[in-house]
Amino acid sequence: MRLARAPRRTPPETIIPLIDVVFFLLVFFMLIGRMDATAPFEVTPAVAVTGSDMPGGGITLAVSEVGALALDGSVVDADVAIARLRDLLTEDPTRLVRINAHRRAPLSEVLPLVARIEGLGARDVVLVVTPAAP
Amino acid sequence: MIDVLLIMLVFFMVTSTYLDLDMIPMAEGAEEQTSTPTADPGAPLVLRLGAEGAVFLRGRPISAVEIAAVVAGRPDVTILPSLRAETQALVSLMDLLTGAGAGSVRLLRVAEP
Repeated sequence: MRLARAPRRTPPETIIPLIDVVFFLLVFFMLIGRMDATAPFEVTPAVAVTGSDMPGGGITLAVSEVGALALDGSVVDADVAIARLRDLLTEDPTRLVRINAHRRAPLSEVLPLVARIEGLGARDVVLVVTPAAP
Repeated sequence: MIDVLLIMLVFFMVTSTYLDLDMIPMAEGAEEQTSTPTADPGAPLVLRLGAEGAVFLRGRPISAVEIAAVVAGRPDVTILPSLRAETQALVSLMDLLTGAGAGSVRLLRVAEP
């Protein structure tokens, strides 16, 4: 008597290693990425050797090559930006204000802005730079 | 489970920025200002940054090597920048001064006309 051969069972799909890999990738991207709002125009910060590491958080004010402003990713007028910054700094004067100015932006667009922000009582105003290659 | 993880992965990959950025302080905190020692044994050193990025000391153009020699050991250096100069020129000069050992670098701002 010939017995019918039992149908070959395909091994179950191993979903657990896939979850592990995806979870690892998720944690990796969460750690190395920054959730900063990007400016709607091109901003290439100046290159500096002596810059220090930038902490996360804070408000980012981007300045384009021609002096256009963007506050946390949305284009604004200088007066509107200052008004919004005043509100934010009134809530928390220790908030970090980052000025992300294009390297070719004239100082006439950057320095008066720093002065106005200082006048609002900001304690931490920093200029964003790109670290120079060693 | 894997669907949710994949959605989160794509979200973080798309919305995050991966630029390596540093910062240069542009304003001193109020508490720091009151506690910073202002005693300067030498005459104040004022460097003027021209519109084209050239640096002048007492009206004479000065090279990067000369700046490093003049600044070495100075606790306090002041920059008077032209408002027509580019941001990179100012950052490069501040970089040079800090690298040469200047204790603190200050910016002298002229009021807008």
